[in-house]
Amino acid sequence: MKKKLLAMLLCAGMVVSLAACGGSGEDGDSSGGGDDVYKAALLLNGTLGDKSFYDSANEGLTALQDELGEDKFTFKVEQMGATSADEAKWEPTLYDYCDDGSYDVIIVGTFQMLDALSKAAADYPDQKFIYFDEQYDFSVSENDNVYNVLYKQNEVSYLVGAAAAMMTTDETLPYVDPSNKVIGFLGGMENSVINDFLVGYIQGAKDIDPEIQVALAYVGNFYDSAAGKDMALTQYQNGADVGFNVAGSAGLGQIEAAAQSQKYAFGVDSDQAALLPEYADYIPTSALKNVGNSLIRAIKADMEEELEFDQTEYLGFAEGGVELLEDDHYSEVVPENIRTKIEELKQQITDGEIEVPTALGDNAMSNDEIQELIDSVKVK
Amino acid sequence: MWSAILSPDFFSTILRSTTPILFATLASSIASKSGITNMALEGIMLFSALFGVIFSSLTSSAWMGLIITMVIGGLIGLILAFFVLNLKTDEILAAIAINLTATGGTVLIMVAFSGDRGVSSSIKSISAPEVVIPLVKDIPFLGEVLSGQNILTWIAIIAVILLHLFLYKTPLGLAIRAVGENKDAAESVGISSRKIQYIALVLSGVLASMGGFFLSGGYMNMFTKDMSGGRGFIALAAASMGGNTPVGSLLVSLLFGIAQAFANIMQLTSMIPYEIVLMVPYLATLVGLAIFYYGQKKKKERLSGK
Repeated sequence: MKKKLLAMLLCAGMVVSLAACGGSGEDGDSSGGGDDVYKAALLLNGTLGDKSFYDSANEGLTALQDELGEDKFTFKVEQMGATSADEAKWEPTLYDYCDDGSYDVIIVGTFQMLDALSKAAADYPDQKFIYFDEQYDFSVSENDNVYNVLYKQNEVSYLVGAAAAMMTTDETLPYVDPSNKVIGFLGGMENSVINDFLVGYIQGAKDIDPEIQVALAYVGNFYDSAAGKDMALTQYQNGADVGFNVAGSAGLGQIEAAAQSQKYAFGVDSDQAALLPEYADYIPTSALKNVGNSLIRAIKADMEEELEFDQTEYLGFAEGGVELLEDDHYSEVVPENIRTKIEELKQQITDGEIEVPTALGDNAMSNDEIQELIDSVKVK
Repeated sequence: MWSAILSPDFFSTILRSTTPILFATLASSIASKSGITNMALEGIMLFSALFGVIFSSLTSSAWMGLIITMVIGGLIGLILAFFVLNLKTDEILAAIAINLTATGGTVLIMVAFSGDRGVSSSIKSISAPEVVIPLVKDIPFLGEVLSGQNILTWIAIIAVILLHLFLYKTPLGLAIRAVGENKDAAESVGISSRKIQYIALVLSGVLASMGGFFLSGGYMNMFTKDMSGGRGFIALAAASMGGNTPVGSLLVSLLFGIAQAFANIMQLTSMIPYEIVLMVPYLATLVGLAIFYYGQKKKKERLSGK
């Protein structure tokens, strides 16, 4: 008797919860915000405080809110965590926000969110999404509800490569052995964004000095800083004078390796000289993506209903999507003749005189071409 | 490529990358010897990497930092033992809980302590010193490899000897092995298996914490999020491959370290796709494991007269 009662209660519970699910789904479909406030949700597959991308996105939205006022624009940040244990909740969280339906736009980024977003965008045709820092495949669904923003990291990386190539033979620099022409690159793992960094870096270096050699290593993940340090040490011990890390926190290993070997390492994604003041002497400057700027730009366009939700945009120097940080520290570490040349190159890129090869988009190099470029600068 | 392999730097890399694995492998060995799989090594190392930074900074001493970290490592071992032995929790589930707590917990503690979430660079920590050995340092090549290594590398090697003596030459060591071999038989001669397993897990925690301390205070000089990088799990495999003996642990850890250093050089010349190169340390371990168990099987067959 007791068991029967329990079973009935359970059944009743299930029916009620099913009904609740259905209900919330309907709410989701009649979405759109309703009132005049534009609401954005920023879902991070990581946490704030990375002093990089995610902070940049948050700062951009905060700046926009300050500019327009809370009666025009509000946003919510959801920090979902980055570890493998957190991965399982990325997709359900995205769906929760889609179900909610009160957000004008949901913002997600990085290649790790691609699968979840592709599904959600197909299931919620009326929900608008902004997707940053990885190519979105518009062929997966017929809905025009994703605006895809990418950064021309190849452009800023081109400048880093050019600077590295000039620095590695510069006799005036304290931490350089001008006798060889080797520079290093430490990647997290191979994907199209990292490749985009890489091809820009190699081309920038080659355009300065066709005989340049690039030592290349991948950590295999974005968190094992000790392994990254060992790989970078190996590069420095075998002739590299200047390195560039694009490996998340594993890349911090390269900066320690640079300090230990008394060499140089360019920073990425955040001002790493400011982040690591003890090692600042070894960090000429950092290459940045302005995620915040790009979000402000997109949301403002959407408020005017001028943002097209079926396209991929690439933002480079011309649109303020990327920058090579040029602060006092940069002037202190990098000699003036190199800085002048970098400024020239930047102008030429902005004007379209130099076209930097890319691993993204319609003009992307094929894998064979990328491999050919890597082989052309192989360490001998 | 050969010039890179024959350089002293290559051998230094081997010793450096072996050290954290070795500590963790020893930690896994002693727990397994007492009959418990300590899968929480990864979490203990991650916690210790952070606490090493925090306490060496608070006490302005690498040694005090190390000692406090070891105490905390022992405490985590104690907590694991309490869950497994007193509350009869599944040892794997309890360990997973500790590992998950470590990934989130370290970030939480770092935020509370310094406001940073990704890297502890704003905490002025003190790393364990490097040992310059007089006379030896002047020997060409060998001097460059041996002198200037972090003191924890030497402590790890000393720990191998001490642990070997402890397990095979002391009554407590005998008791640990007896409990691991057959709990009931050990109980029947008056050994409290619970007490012995408590001791083994606490020692395991202490050893793992030294590996964790080395990661952020020797290998690197700061804590970065998730920096244990799976070494605690590699250690589980390494320990079982080394037959859960201290000397076996040393050999397997060295094998792993050599493969790791070799993989770094292979990447430099980039002849082979990096995905394959990154597999080298694991592949080497796997092949070693297969050879070891094949040998064991043959030995067993010989003994049973088949």
